Amino acid sequence: MKFLWWGRAQRDQELDEEVRSHLEMAAREYKERGRDNRDAERAARREFGNMGLVKEVARDVWSRRWLEDFVEDARYGLRRMRKSPGFTAIVVLTLALGIGANTAIFSLVNGILLSSLPYSNPEQLVSVTGAYPKGAIVAMREQMRTMEVGAYVEGQELNLTGFGEPVRLTGTSVSAELFSILGARPDVGRVFYPGEDIPGQDSLVILSHALWEQRFGADASILGRSIELGGVSRQVIGVMPAGFRFPSVKTQLWIPLHNDPRNTASFWAGDFMPGIGRLRPGSTIEQARTEIRMFQSHVGALFPWPMPASWNANATVVLLQNGMVADVRARLLILLGAVALVLLIACSNVANLTLSRAATREKEISIRSALGAGRQRITQQLLTESMLQALLGGLLGLAFAKEGLALLKSVLPADTPRLDDVHIDWRVLVFTGGLAILTGVIFGLAPALHSARPALAEALNSGGRGTAASLSQRLRSSLAIAQVAFAVLLVIAAGLMIRSFWAISHVNPGFRPEHILTARITPNESFCDDAIRCLAFYRSVQHQVQTLPGAGEVALINTLPLGGRVSKRSLNVEGYDVPAGEDVPLFWLNVVTPEYFRVMGIPFLAGRSFTDSDVSGAPVAIVTDETAHRFWPNQNAVGKHIRLLDDKDWRTIVGIIPDVRAYDLQRNTPEWIGGTAYVPYNSTATLEDRRIPAEMTIAIRTGSDDSQIATMVRNSVAALNQEVPVSEVKTMRAVVSEAVSTPASTTVLMAVFAALALVLGTIGIYGVLSFLVANRTREIGIRLALGAQRGEVLRSVMGEGAKLSLAGIALGMAGAFAVMRVLSGELYGVSATDPLTFCGVAILVAVVALTACYVPARRAMRVDPMVALRYE
Amino acid sequence: MAEKRERYQNRIELLQGTLDLLILQTLQWGPQHGYGISVAIRNRSGDLLQVDTGSLYPALHRLDKQKWIKAEWRISENNQRAKFYQLTTAGKKQLTRERSKWSQLSDAIAGVLNPFEGETKP
Repeated sequence: MKFLWWGRAQRDQELDEEVRSHLEMAAREYKERGRDNRDAERAARREFGNMGLVKEVARDVWSRRWLEDFVEDARYGLRRMRKSPGFTAIVVLTLALGIGANTAIFSLVNGILLSSLPYSNPEQLVSVTGAYPKGAIVAMREQMRTMEVGAYVEGQELNLTGFGEPVRLTGTSVSAELFSILGARPDVGRVFYPGEDIPGQDSLVILSHALWEQRFGADASILGRSIELGGVSRQVIGVMPAGFRFPSVKTQLWIPLHNDPRNTASFWAGDFMPGIGRLRPGSTIEQARTEIRMFQSHVGALFPWPMPASWNANATVVLLQNGMVADVRARLLILLGAVALVLLIACSNVANLTLSRAATREKEISIRSALGAGRQRITQQLLTESMLQALLGGLLGLAFAKEGLALLKSVLPADTPRLDDVHIDWRVLVFTGGLAILTGVIFGLAPALHSARPALAEALNSGGRGTAASLSQRLRSSLAIAQVAFAVLLVIAAGLMIRSFWAISHVNPGFRPEHILTARITPNESFCDDAIRCLAFYRSVQHQVQTLPGAGEVALINTLPLGGRVSKRSLNVEGYDVPAGEDVPLFWLNVVTPEYFRVMGIPFLAGRSFTDSDVSGAPVAIVTDETAHRFWPNQNAVGKHIRLLDDKDWRTIVGIIPDVRAYDLQRNTPEWIGGTAYVPYNSTATLEDRRIPAEMTIAIRTGSDDSQIATMVRNSVAALNQEVPVSEVKTMRAVVSEAVSTPASTTVLMAVFAALALVLGTIGIYGVLSFLVANRTREIGIRLALGAQRGEVLRSVMGEGAKLSLAGIALGMAGAFAVMRVLSGELYGVSATDPLTFCGVAILVAVVALTACYVPARRAMRVDPMVALRYE
Repeated sequence: MAEKRERYQNRIELLQGTLDLLILQTLQWGPQHGYGISVAIRNRSGDLLQVDTGSLYPALHRLDKQKWIKAEWRISENNQRAKFYQLTTAGKKQLTRERSKWSQLSDAIAGVLNPFEGETKP
């Protein structure tokens, strides 16, 4: 850097001397023409023009000028920032909040939506939307020319026994080609070979790194050994690397899909799964789409029964990356939009502050330009200052983002896809850097351009209150209006989310979740092949738990409401004619013990609950209100009959209960589900696979939500059967609140952003009015001296503030009306243009804004005319 | 004030790049300092061309940087230290180029201003 200064200093000196000699020569000539000394010099100077500017432009000819300028500006800027630490702190902090929030949300967007999947050539990986049974997947694998096809079923639960305490593990069934399609290599051992998903060759398992470490002490000798999984012995052939989490972090092991064409029910009607594929070299995704449409047109014929034409009619091929995160995309983009608004508010806030300060700097700037600083030079210098502040804000923002991201990850539901791919990487850093520079330009440019406008003489003469003031006041006012408008937009969004969340939380789930402890008891499927043994086991469990201290009544159900699982069953309904081309109605079937309705606090609308005699007596069922109305409108459903498909006995409906939110709180049943029925747990209570449920959830009424009972339940079950794991021990309250964790997290984030926006917007209005009052102190003083009432002064300032606030609120509401539609997918029980929310927010913002106006207005009212007039 | 405005109106605005040509041409008669160049241009143009110092010095420095002229501190005819500029070899070539460019330009402009001259000639 030194050579730079040295070269420059010499050049500057020479330039000075050159100019001086020019002036002397000119002056000499004037003298020769007969002027006196002083007059000649003055004339020469006048003829020369703006000396500083000439020098500056001449200097600019020599290169590296910009660098010198920059260093000089940066030094000057830093000096100024040190001199006004309060102002600097507010600016940097405001920007840091805006940039930090944006960086944190962008990290999510980056990790979840943007960054490519951690597999080789991820751009070739696609997923086939729609769901296919094994048979259709096998056909697809054989027929597709544009891509290799695989498939997987997530959430296969298996008991691991024989290794200490039995545990319930979550596995993913995969077609044998899946690993090679993903291009995933094992950490140790091997992956599945083609053909290893055929019965007889599929008793294999691949472990996740985490499971290998937790359960098997990361011992490589486990390879080749067999472990007992779900009652089946499987050979461990490989362990995947720690970073491999397909399809999600929940998966602890992978087993082959059991592709058995002879088992028609499982092959053509068992698990329906999405296809996944890798485009073959030279194939495009469009070709794959065309091929899948052709495949779709004839796959129905392969089924052993007729398939409706509507089945998978919209199936297409999308990039795997997009397919995996389709559910969260909209929510993330909404959050990104919200947080961008926060940054805009922060920017206009800082621009406003800078403008106000620029007004007080007008004199300084005028002097600088009188001394020869070019307009561009001044703009550049002011911009450099803004940049410095923005970069500082960016750095601090990055620190905020790091903390914020940790917080975000804990707020977001754990099942958010790819959440562990989220961290601050180079792309986030580039984003933050770019954002800082952009904000620097945005909030710096207007004040800089504005201040650099030379209104020299006026500014110098009038001591800083030139004509420029009114223009900058207008600019400041528009900025304040924009801030209020953005804040209104965000507060309305948050208001809608809060109302929606309130609606969801206050949905009557159809049961009373208080004082209920639940736990899943999950013997192997094969354990219940012997129905008598199975039922006896559960009777003992029920009996044992009932005797525990603190335990009230105990019930069992196969699928706990809001527990995330439902079981389906095709039914015949008495008196209901199945329309041509449709299947018999599909029901959600709940298998329960007679105590269930009492334990869950479910009342009866008609008829009665199950009794102990129903378990062994004549076949019975209970249906929900919605179901009764659908199939027997205007009739009493009690006494009517339904029959599980393929059963020989009809079941008599003995009772009707109100609707229960079984799957989620938002609705009772999706439209493809005909109804909901309950049957007593006995050997005829079979599910779609014609077996009785093996996994049951125990629900215990407790005096309080006592965690001690949890341990005792585990011990009781272990005492009865060593090999049956107990998992997911939680209160019914926890089950319910997990069901709303997604809207809860979005609502919380939205509310935080809205609060931030409101605070920043309020500061904006306050700042503008304070400045206005400070600027008009003299005028107000004169008015008061001339007899104006103090109340009038207050009203006039408040009126100014009200004008800005109302303009902002009106703009914001209009904007909200136009864009809130994007939220409608996230809302429940409230329309996106809910008038109550809109008006409520308008009133709230108006009150907050007017409160902010009151402080400077009161200051204006208290102006002492004498002081104001002597001022300056 | 009125006198000043009149002077400004009589002055002819220099075309972009023309100043470079004038400076190079002036220096062809021998080394000269900035003030001398401005006086020379004013005198030779019959006071029509007034070179603004705000243009002159940046132009001199620009030409210096291009190595078409070089600067040297000398004592002037009035016994004063001054920065003298003088044409370099490259500068002489540049002058030739600029002169031919200028005559092409003035021919072209003349052609536009007197469009019938060319046609009426046999």
